[in-house]
Amino acid sequence: MAALVFAALILVIFNFARDPTVLRAQELAPSALWITITFASVTALNRAFAVELDHGALDGLLLAPVGREAIYLGKLLGNLVFVGFVQAITIPLFVLFFNLDLHGALPGILLLAFLATLGFTAVGTVFSALTARVQFNELMLPVLLLPFMVPPLIGAAHVSSKLLAGRPLAESAGWLQILATYDIVFITLSVLVFPAVLDE
Amino acid sequence: MLLRAEPPANGQYMVAAYVLVAVVLVLYVTTLFVRARGLVKEVVE
Amino acid sequence: MVLALLALAAHYVRAIQYTPVEATQGMAQKIFYVHVPAAWSAFLAYGIVGLCSALFLWLHDRRLDLFAEASAEVGTVLTFIVLTTGPLWGKPIWGTWWQWEVRLTSTLFLFFLFVGYLTLRRSVYDPLERARYSAVVGILGAMLVPFIHLSVWMFRTIHPKPIILKPDGPSLPGSMLSTLLEGFAIFTVLYLGMVMVRYGIGRLQEEKEARHAAAS
Repeated sequence: MAALVFAALILVIFNFARDPTVLRAQELAPSALWITITFASVTALNRAFAVELDHGALDGLLLAPVGREAIYLGKLLGNLVFVGFVQAITIPLFVLFFNLDLHGALPGILLLAFLATLGFTAVGTVFSALTARVQFNELMLPVLLLPFMVPPLIGAAHVSSKLLAGRPLAESAGWLQILATYDIVFITLSVLVFPAVLDE
Repeated sequence: MLLRAEPPANGQYMVAAYVLVAVVLVLYVTTLFVRARGLVKEVVE
Repeated sequence: MVLALLALAAHYVRAIQYTPVEATQGMAQKIFYVHVPAAWSAFLAYGIVGLCSALFLWLHDRRLDLFAEASAEVGTVLTFIVLTTGPLWGKPIWGTWWQWEVRLTSTLFLFFLFVGYLTLRRSVYDPLERARYSAVVGILGAMLVPFIHLSVWMFRTIHPKPIILKPDGPSLPGSMLSTLLEGFAIFTVLYLGMVMVRYGIGRLQEEKEARHAAAS
């Protein structure tokens, strides 16, 4: 799993790159975590449609008596599972390497991870289908997706740092609302727009 | 806000900005014209 | 005609801007009169891209796609202007070239959205496919802009900076306000003029491609 190796590498570098007397692990942690998740997710998304294209399975899917929307949702779910898996390994590694004291922040962090990931994976799934048949697709996907990752990541990183500092989750209710709204809006929009990507 | 006798002398920034805007816009519009003219010639033959 | 308007508008802007009263910020404050209208028209440009994209997916009229393309290109130029005049204003006033606050960050990402859109168009050769894909990106991007704005704004209000510049304070003296409004009008006209020309180019290109295809 290239994504996992990559994630581990980033974690290691972050640890060696900082001066422990100046930067406490707690402060660096949220950024490091979310950068890692970002890279791993983009890698995952890039591969998401590549496999199907290779095997010509995409045409088969299109012929199936299944709505285009259903294809999207299925793909979304698949991507989420994949990215979730990567995160399930990355987050504990991260706690380990940074010697983090979680202050019981774990449920909050998991919720954040879920909401943020849902957000950019929703759009990422559309884009991965779109860029699969385009030139330079490994480059196009991140280029197109980058702006869409910003709101979820700002929210996630910010709230993570608060949680790790021991603040209760309820304080960040506003952010959670934004994340949830983002998810709803973009999943809905993506479902509506996805058929246009698959049309022949 | 301090009360100054005179506003600060930072005119060079303004000039730079205005020049930049003018240059960019003129350049862009020029390229538009050039492209348009080229295409018109090609299509009207 | 439209083109003459363009030139006129451009020079008009220059001429008028030299007359209004100076602020306590000094001459640099006048950058405001090009920077803000440019920003407005840049965001307008993207709004139009989004609108045309949505309409295209609904109505399948290729002209909508071409118009979106024109708007995107013009929008990129305008956003570039905003992003360069901004720091030129910021440096003398704030002391720094950049700050991660709402407007700047939103505009920066607007720029990325435009560039991404145009890059995508370059990468797809079939016109119909290109139109469809661009429309998808256009719509999603248009929805994104308010979210970026909101996220950065929320971030800022939690960690307020001591120096927050409010470029559009409500109590602008009359002469400044009128100049600003004029700036808005002029940039809007500029935007329209450039888009129309660019759109014309798009139509010609389409025509040309059609003939090549027919000939071969």
